[in-house]
Amino acid sequence: MGTSGPEEVAVHADPDGDEPEEWRSVMIDLSAVPLPDLVEQDGSALVRAVRRVTGDAAPGEPIAGFNSAL
Amino acid sequence: MTVQPFRLGDTAFARLGAGRPDGDTLGALRRAEHSRSLLLLREVRRQVSDTPAWYAAQLATAPEEAARWVTDPMTALWAAHCLRSGPCDPGPRGPHVLTVTRNGLPLTVRLEDTDPIRSRLGLTPAPPLAADQARRWHELLDRAWELLAGRHRPAAEVLAAVLRVIVPVLPDPVAEGISATSAEAFGAVALSAPATPDALAAGLLHETQHSILNATHLLFPLVEPDGPPGYSPWRDDPRPAFGVLHGAYAYLAVTRFRRSAPGAAAAFEFARWRGAVAEAAEALLTGGELTPAGTRFVTALRDEVTPWLDEPVDPAIQRLADLANADHRARWRLRNLAVDDADTARLVAAWDAGSEPPEITPVLVPGGGRALENSPRLPLIRAVLHGSKPGDGADAATVRGDDRAALPAYEKGRDWGGLALVSPHPALRRRPEVVRAAATALPQAPLNALAAWLS
Repeated sequence: MGTSGPEEVAVHADPDGDEPEEWRSVMIDLSAVPLPDLVEQDGSALVRAVRRVTGDAAPGEPIAGFNSAL
Repeated sequence: MTVQPFRLGDTAFARLGAGRPDGDTLGALRRAEHSRSLLLLREVRRQVSDTPAWYAAQLATAPEEAARWVTDPMTALWAAHCLRSGPCDPGPRGPHVLTVTRNGLPLTVRLEDTDPIRSRLGLTPAPPLAADQARRWHELLDRAWELLAGRHRPAAEVLAAVLRVIVPVLPDPVAEGISATSAEAFGAVALSAPATPDALAAGLLHETQHSILNATHLLFPLVEPDGPPGYSPWRDDPRPAFGVLHGAYAYLAVTRFRRSAPGAAAAFEFARWRGAVAEAAEALLTGGELTPAGTRFVTALRDEVTPWLDEPVDPAIQRLADLANADHRARWRLRNLAVDDADTARLVAAWDAGSEPPEITPVLVPGGGRALENSPRLPLIRAVLHGSKPGDGADAATVRGDDRAALPAYEKGRDWGGLALVSPHPALRRRPEVVRAAATALPQAPLNALAAWLS
């Protein structure tokens, strides 16, 4: 599986100034990839993305308790 | 197969932080969560050697239908559960699909009352709905959508792009319209049957913000992990920075929703939460736990709410909002902070020696657990906002703004939460837990003298 660009989350600085112009994620866009293709594939970008989504293996505490009544 | 990392322009990222994401950004967040679901399913499939039934069904399904299943919030919730608990089968989906359209904007959600995985959203699910209950949900959703699509169009467009599932849950005896969200189920909201369309609208806006923030954090980590818990204006228990950010982001949408709403109760909510959101954002920005992306995000959030602080609110209502926020902070300190034995001994020694009070660093009390707001004065404030008298007693006097009338009863009853609101002594107002520790260790010392000494 090929990817382009840096693999870390990064801010791309505007060459003419300090303002960042783009935020880049470690997550790759797999939304157009059929699941069977993913199951068969390995690759560093894929492994990093898997680590990102399974890194919080402990169940995330649901955020509960908003009382919407006035 | 070539895939690209997700990218977001800084302007779009700032709009997201301000709670005003555009359609392209929401599309990216949906694709991110789609990708996440696929990755989880990949891992679930790889858990076993034989082809599980759900995977065989996926192989036999048309691509569009397969994608619909993958992007359903319950699918990722189930897959995450399987990865923790071992191979398991997905449950059946609920039959009630509701579509409402107002001002040309459609919203389609499923009332998920069937899939057992719905219990993982943090609240106790209601049993499967009877036909009349489903009809009632449909009516409420239609009226809530009329309000949102008609008067809060940008927020409604965000909701329509994100919300896919409502899980009806049992009501909480101490809170009307309780709701919850899980990071593992993007686009799903757990809600007890709301009392009014307004409450439903507020609950949906609030919870959808959690989903959006979770998707953002998936792409761009906003907070460094493992930071210490601290004060959150929305919870009685200590919260990590990401929890505080969740509260600020969710209440940003609620504050905007109440900003233009009629009535004293809505004005109170606006006045209260604009202050809390601004304060929380400032604390996050100075707390040192945000990543660079988190700093950019929270700066945009803070910049969004700051101008609202200058908008006029009836002074009587603003006073009640300030009282509610001060009440929460004081009770939080009293519940979660204590003075350790060494500092208590230094306090006693200094008092006995007639010296200046020593520097005291209160410490977090471990194991408080999750807790929701439970102030005895809040129901009285709500009564006043709805035109009733607050009644008699010290709390009622506090709500009326009569601090002098409330003070003796609080002093007599050693009601530290009340004293923190009406005492003339700054120490009691700012650090009531320190005065409480000193008074407990020095029972013979007059309270006023102690409080004055510590101020």
